[in-house]
Amino acid sequence: MTKATTNGPVYNPPAEQLTSCGDVSCELLVDPIPRPAPEAITVSLRPKVAKVTFVDHHKPNSRIIMEYTQSVLRKRGIEVEGEIFIKADASTRMPAAMLQSLSQERGLILCGISD
Amino acid sequence: MTTYATLEDIENCMDNGWTDGLPVIPPYGSLVDAMLEAMGWQGSDSVGEIPDQNIVVRAEKAAATAVMAGCKTEYGPLLRALTEGLLDPKLNLSGVEVTTGGAAVLVIVSGPVVEQLGFEHETNALGANCRANATVGRFAQMMRYFCGRGGGVLQSHGTIGHPGRLSFCIAEHPKTEWGAYHTQYGLPETASAISLMSTEGPNSVNNHYGDTGTHILDTIGDALCHAGQTAWYYRSGGFVVVIPPDHMALVAKDFSREQALEYIYKHARRQTDELAELGRIAKNPIEFAEVAPGELRSPLKSREQLTFIECGSSGGRFSAIIPRWVGSTHAVCREIKSV
Repeated sequence: MTKATTNGPVYNPPAEQLTSCGDVSCELLVDPIPRPAPEAITVSLRPKVAKVTFVDHHKPNSRIIMEYTQSVLRKRGIEVEGEIFIKADASTRMPAAMLQSLSQERGLILCGISD
Repeated sequence: MTTYATLEDIENCMDNGWTDGLPVIPPYGSLVDAMLEAMGWQGSDSVGEIPDQNIVVRAEKAAATAVMAGCKTEYGPLLRALTEGLLDPKLNLSGVEVTTGGAAVLVIVSGPVVEQLGFEHETNALGANCRANATVGRFAQMMRYFCGRGGGVLQSHGTIGHPGRLSFCIAEHPKTEWGAYHTQYGLPETASAISLMSTEGPNSVNNHYGDTGTHILDTIGDALCHAGQTAWYYRSGGFVVVIPPDHMALVAKDFSREQALEYIYKHARRQTDELAELGRIAKNPIEFAEVAPGELRSPLKSREQLTFIECGSSGGRFSAIIPRWVGSTHAVCREIKSV
């Protein structure tokens, strides 16, 4: 759901339950939105260690940008994972095994460069 | 008879995220039950999954969405085929929803069902003010919006999007020069079908003074090759070419569908080096992109990525091309069967 504010639209998740009440009784409306079960994974935005890992999802020129970023970070003394991991297709989600592996990383993961 | 607090319920849906931005029919249980029956499902039936988001889609969700979009129950068998197509993993619904490409799900309706359900296939065929087109197209976009967001977890990142994200449904003429649209996906001529793919918005192709089929196909081919086409690098999507009667009268005189396809594939090309100079090719191309410096480049990786639909009214010399989203690697075509 999107609500306009003075700072632009803000997204709020859709309600899980709505009720319609007439003069004498109420009924639940049928929720049209499928929900994840179990709930979706959450992402921590605060890395536990100062190390950066890159995932290239094959957008044009993304590898060049990532390699340049790696060199800049190294010059600044920030630890960088040597290997740039590769996700074969930008339009589909990463394979479960790769997600599982990356979820064990304790540093910052930068996944993909936008168009 | 049940009395609903309808306006209040509409506002309630609008305020709480059960909407595509337009007012909806509130999904009252009695309406959803009737829609479920028309679709031939029980509410708890699993009608598809989005495994990456841990989501199982129950029939009740699709029926509620159909009610909200304003669909009639007589659309039930079509909506059933459409729901199954939308949730076919090949369509990649979450990808369509969240991409920067701002894609919509294009629904193409073809065969006898077009007349049976009263779809508009002539005037303003790509944006018809007709309940069947408008609500079926809206249903598809609402399913994309509701299901593709992982239950509200994911957000869209469409850069500019296009108006088809509210509704995008095209019906083909019941009688065609080259055969029904779905025959391009292997279904028999006599079938009724829905075909789905994720697309950008349509580009108009005007040619009022050309007087041969070649003139029309060359104009269409030129439109396929403008520098800004998303297709130039990955070439994983394709195009739908829309040909209304006045252009078709010229083209069909000189070309079969297969010949037209071959002609466009052969001639609609642009110099690769020019594209690279413009920044339309990555500096270090990946193997998949099959970039050949110095050669003419087609926006199509293979002929099968181009399909033709015959619709629109006579009296105007406009065709159109609809570029598929770059991540639209597969179209989904389903026969509509009685429930």
